[in-house]
Amino acid sequence: MDMLYYPGCTLKTSAKNLEASAIAIAEKLGYKLVEMDDWNCCGVVASLTSDDLMHHLASLRNLIRVEEQGQDKVLVLCDMCYNTLKQTDIRMKASQSDLDTLNSFMDEESDYKNTVKIMHFLEFLRDEVGFATLKKKVKKPLKGLRVMPYYGCMLLRPREVAIDDAEDPRILSDLIKALGAKVVDNPYKIECCGSYRTIDQKELTSRRAKSISSYASTHDADLIMLSCPLCQYNLDVRGKEAESMYDGYSQLPTLYFTQLIALALGLDVESLGLDSHAVDPAPILRKRGVID
Amino acid sequence: MTETDVECAKQDEPSQVTATVEIFIMGKRYDVPIGFTIMKAIEFAGYQYIRSCGCRAGFCGACATVYRKGQEQKLHFALACQCLVEEGMYLVQIPFVPANKALYDINDLAPEDNTILTIYPEIARCVSCNTCTKSCPQDIKVMMYIQNSLRGNIAKAAELSFDCIQCGLCAMRCPADIKHYHVSQLARRLRGKYIDPESKELNARLKELEEGKYMDEVDEMMSMDRDIILNLYKKRKIEAQGDLDEGADA
Amino acid sequence: MKIIDGYPDYMMESIKLVEQKREKNLKIDVPALTMEGREKVLKAYHPDFMDSTKREVKLGPNKGEMIYNGIVDLLESKSILDTKSVDLTKIHYDVDILIIGGGGAGTVAALFAHEVGGVPKDKILITTKLRHGDANSMMAQGGIQAADRPVDSPTIHYLDIYGGGHFTNKPELAKALAMDAPRIIKWHLDLGVMYDRMENGEFQELSGGGTSRNRMHSAKDYSGMELMRNIRDRARNLEIPVLEFCPIIELLLDDQGIVSGGIAFNMETDEYYVIRSKVTILATGGSGRLHLSNYPTTNHYGATGDGLVMAYHAGANLKDLDTIQIHPTGDAYPEAVVGILSTEKIRGLGAIPLNKDGDPFVFPLEPRDVESAAFIQECKKGKGLVTPTGMPGVWLDSPMIDIIHGKGTIETKLAGEYRKFKRFDIDMTKHPIFVYPTYHYQNGGVEINEKTETALPGLLAAGEVTGGVHGKNRLMGNSLLDYNVFGRRAGLHAAEYIKTRNVGKLSLKHIDDYNKKLDELNIKSDIKAPILLPEYRGKEVLARALDIL
Ligand SMILES: Cc1cc2nc3c(=O)[nH]c(=O)nc-3n(C[C@H](O)[C@H](O)[C@H](O)COP(=O)(O)OP(=O)(O)OC[C@H]3O[C@@H](n4cnc5c(N)ncnc54)[C@H](O)[C@@H]3O)c2cc1C
Ligand code: SF4
Ligand code: SF4
Ligand code: FES
Repeated sequence: MDMLYYPGCTLKTSAKNLEASAIAIAEKLGYKLVEMDDWNCCGVVASLTSDDLMHHLASLRNLIRVEEQGQDKVLVLCDMCYNTLKQTDIRMKASQSDLDTLNSFMDEESDYKNTVKIMHFLEFLRDEVGFATLKKKVKKPLKGLRVMPYYGCMLLRPREVAIDDAEDPRILSDLIKALGAKVVDNPYKIECCGSYRTIDQKELTSRRAKSISSYASTHDADLIMLSCPLCQYNLDVRGKEAESMYDGYSQLPTLYFTQLIALALGLDVESLGLDSHAVDPAPILRKRGVID
Repeated sequence: MTETDVECAKQDEPSQVTATVEIFIMGKRYDVPIGFTIMKAIEFAGYQYIRSCGCRAGFCGACATVYRKGQEQKLHFALACQCLVEEGMYLVQIPFVPANKALYDINDLAPEDNTILTIYPEIARCVSCNTCTKSCPQDIKVMMYIQNSLRGNIAKAAELSFDCIQCGLCAMRCPADIKHYHVSQLARRLRGKYIDPESKELNARLKELEEGKYMDEVDEMMSMDRDIILNLYKKRKIEAQGDLDEGADA
Repeated sequence: MKIIDGYPDYMMESIKLVEQKREKNLKIDVPALTMEGREKVLKAYHPDFMDSTKREVKLGPNKGEMIYNGIVDLLESKSILDTKSVDLTKIHYDVDILIIGGGGAGTVAALFAHEVGGVPKDKILITTKLRHGDANSMMAQGGIQAADRPVDSPTIHYLDIYGGGHFTNKPELAKALAMDAPRIIKWHLDLGVMYDRMENGEFQELSGGGTSRNRMHSAKDYSGMELMRNIRDRARNLEIPVLEFCPIIELLLDDQGIVSGGIAFNMETDEYYVIRSKVTILATGGSGRLHLSNYPTTNHYGATGDGLVMAYHAGANLKDLDTIQIHPTGDAYPEAVVGILSTEKIRGLGAIPLNKDGDPFVFPLEPRDVESAAFIQECKKGKGLVTPTGMPGVWLDSPMIDIIHGKGTIETKLAGEYRKFKRFDIDMTKHPIFVYPTYHYQNGGVEINEKTETALPGLLAAGEVTGGVHGKNRLMGNSLLDYNVFGRRAGLHAAEYIKTRNVGKLSLKHIDDYNKKLDELNIKSDIKAPILLPEYRGKEVLARALDIL
């Protein structure tokens, strides 16, 4: 079955491995992820001020593209894009007058008719594929692997866009179990990774990465699983930088949920971009017998 | 002027001025002939160009023009040399666009995902309002080439922007102050230099030339008597006529 | 008169015939003319062969030779510069290399002088009439020739150039053109030029009129623009100084009679600047805007032959200006684009010329002069059509291209052309376009040698302003090549030349002498030269003009 998806800029640059692994697992599960035509940047951070309609243009234009392509659902892989698109969608559903203003501004486009459902890929796996089905397709259960789930902010906040309970989410834990791995639950899972501070305050972000990863290490986690490319960057790259700031410190590897699913489904390791991480996950995966 | 064998008059004086339309050049009213481009109409009205006129054929982007017709809501964008005058046009030309270009040495760059973003970080400010696309007289998907530059798809940005004549109208309108045409110039250069494949045949020919091949052949031809070279010329095999098709001798 | 799909009804009638016969015409091959056949049609119909189009020039180095009237008119006028109003003791710009003309040749020369010749950028100055890059170089559509395929060779290219020029080229210049070509293409790739490629990375090379191999490298139908904007971008990145809207109006000599700079005129403020230089490169391009023989033109607004005039005033000789190139496929309809070029690539891709009955009458890819003469002949025979504004012309059956190469070819390969006609409601994928010859290229000019030296010491020249490279006829794609090959050579030679040059006292005496000579010969003229810009203001306005501000 064809599923339209919105990639977003990050998947085309620093998170190519997220996109590649998502496409691969979808295929294994019987879905073909089809990239939207002519998409544009989501607008990145959703605007929270009420008079700043301009910032909803980018998102809305993408939703119009989805309607134009005859679809009523679009999957989103990047947490940040998901959050931004979803917030615009909610605002448009709530305020017809805002929608009218934007529709009339975009006089070169057809009007948005509020028909599109925005779904994060994780949500899609849980609600449409079903973790039970996924479990059945697992070829190489990740036995013995101790995984710490990490959510960050974008999947859960604000509450209206959350794909799970904002205070005590379980979607990642359930997924880890379905893959046959061991969950290392933790209080840091909904802490902020430092987000855009990574640009102007590298050290602050490194410190955050260190505190998240340290908790995991002291609880014998092998690695951290997450879904957001920005969290991934901060935990991985800034975390690696923390190693040179703190003597003897070593950062745990971070993997996308799609990469772990792919490993459990027995997909070709080469195509998952495991070598594009700052902290190399290969040694621990090898040690636990997940890869050869 | 001297008599000529061509029945036509020269370019800028059509032999028949049929009817006129009323236009407003920077607010001043003039009657100009129907069927004239904006450029010819402005000249007809008595202006002599120094700026805002270059190729007169839609290639140089010197003649960017903005107009509104009568009470119309919408502002229009055109090239004065490529757009006919219409009744009630209020128009002005934009002779110069202050849009600073980044300085770089193409030889020091690599075609990476963030190369363009590093040199023109302001593209990240794009709010996808599409105003640039709506202002482009070349009907280029301007926003899409900015978007592709942003996501590191250099080849696509280059392709989408190829027909850009650098008129600057997009840059004048962008609420994010992006200098689109400089961005796309970089995209195209990166693609031409680093992404498009090598030509093996060209490289082979360069090597031959370096080794001095063809020097003697050409020198010999240069010293030939006219009859001999004329004969050679007449006997050329013409590829376009299929002379080379049946394995014919080159 | 009704307009249907952009054409008046009576022209549409003729288009119907074209359409009816299209299938048949696709199968017919009109053979190329023999040498004798070519000569016959040229003699009868080409303006180069008519007495009325040119005359003997009465003074200067080419005294007694035939040159096109419009150019002689300028050579037989006084200088636009009043030498008394210039103070040569005040130097405004003191440089090693003055480059006159910011088109292709001038910019390439600057790049090579700086990047290879090692001349510091501040010692180079480009002055140009309009903006940097507003030039014929920006307008080329078809492409550039270079013999780089195995079935081709620089020798074959040489033969095409020389024969195409009716064996009147200076052989050493034709040789330089053919032999340097492949390295020029390589240089372009290094700059980042996006040439049209095939899937295997090789260039898509088309044939052009008068060439025996397919060697036309193109970048859609924006070839000239793609080259010029890359070259200009490189110059901008290197911060080579450019003075825009400041044409040079006369050259400066020193007391040894060596060219030592020029007088620039700021068209916006009316001031002059004295520019002193150790060597000067003339790269002012062509003269289409002189409308020689009253033809419309494809050239840019600044193509008024200034370089010819100032070089002649200083004593350089001109060559082959008894010929011009008219391009067969100038637009003849609609009126708004009359004279503008429809690229030869349209024929290169398979469109053929047809008369008003829809019948083919000439091999589509004859050399330009022959092809043009054949069009004129067809119109003289009454087999052409005449537009509502009196332009004669013939059809060029563009829809054939999509039939031959597949739907969509026109929109991608001829994007610029397609867009141009679309603006006037004509869809060239459905209907033929209407064409008639237009003044396109100045075959001759200031004579140079293979180092780009002119007869005047201190003055180099490159590009369309020069004479000798193409002889009395240039083939398509060889002038983009020309400006690159000789622009490069000029830049390199200039960098050498300045090493031993000391400039003496500046002088404009040659201008006074020239003006005096005109008086002595009692030659009168109501214009002054160079003219800098063509006059297109409305007749009625000019008639009422007062000169008071
Ligand atoms: C429409 C068109 C299509 C063409 N197509 C092709 C093609 O497909 N293939 C091909 O090989 N050739 C083609 N040509 C020819 C080719 O483009 C030109 O011959 C070539 O580019 C000339 O280069 P240039 O640098 O000598 O002159 P230009 O590029 O014209 O540059 C001359 C510059 O000098 C400036 N100038 C003029 N007078 C002065 C002055 N007094 N002081 C200072 N500056 C001055 C001008 O403004 C201009 O900027 C085409 C030409 C035209 C017009
Ligand atoms: S005008 Fe500027 S902000 Fe708007 S879409 Fe274009 S580049 Fe983006
Ligand atoms: S992209 Fe911008 S500069 Fe280029 S042609 Fe369009 S409006 Fe002009
Ligand atoms: S004058 Fe060059 S595009 Fe109009």
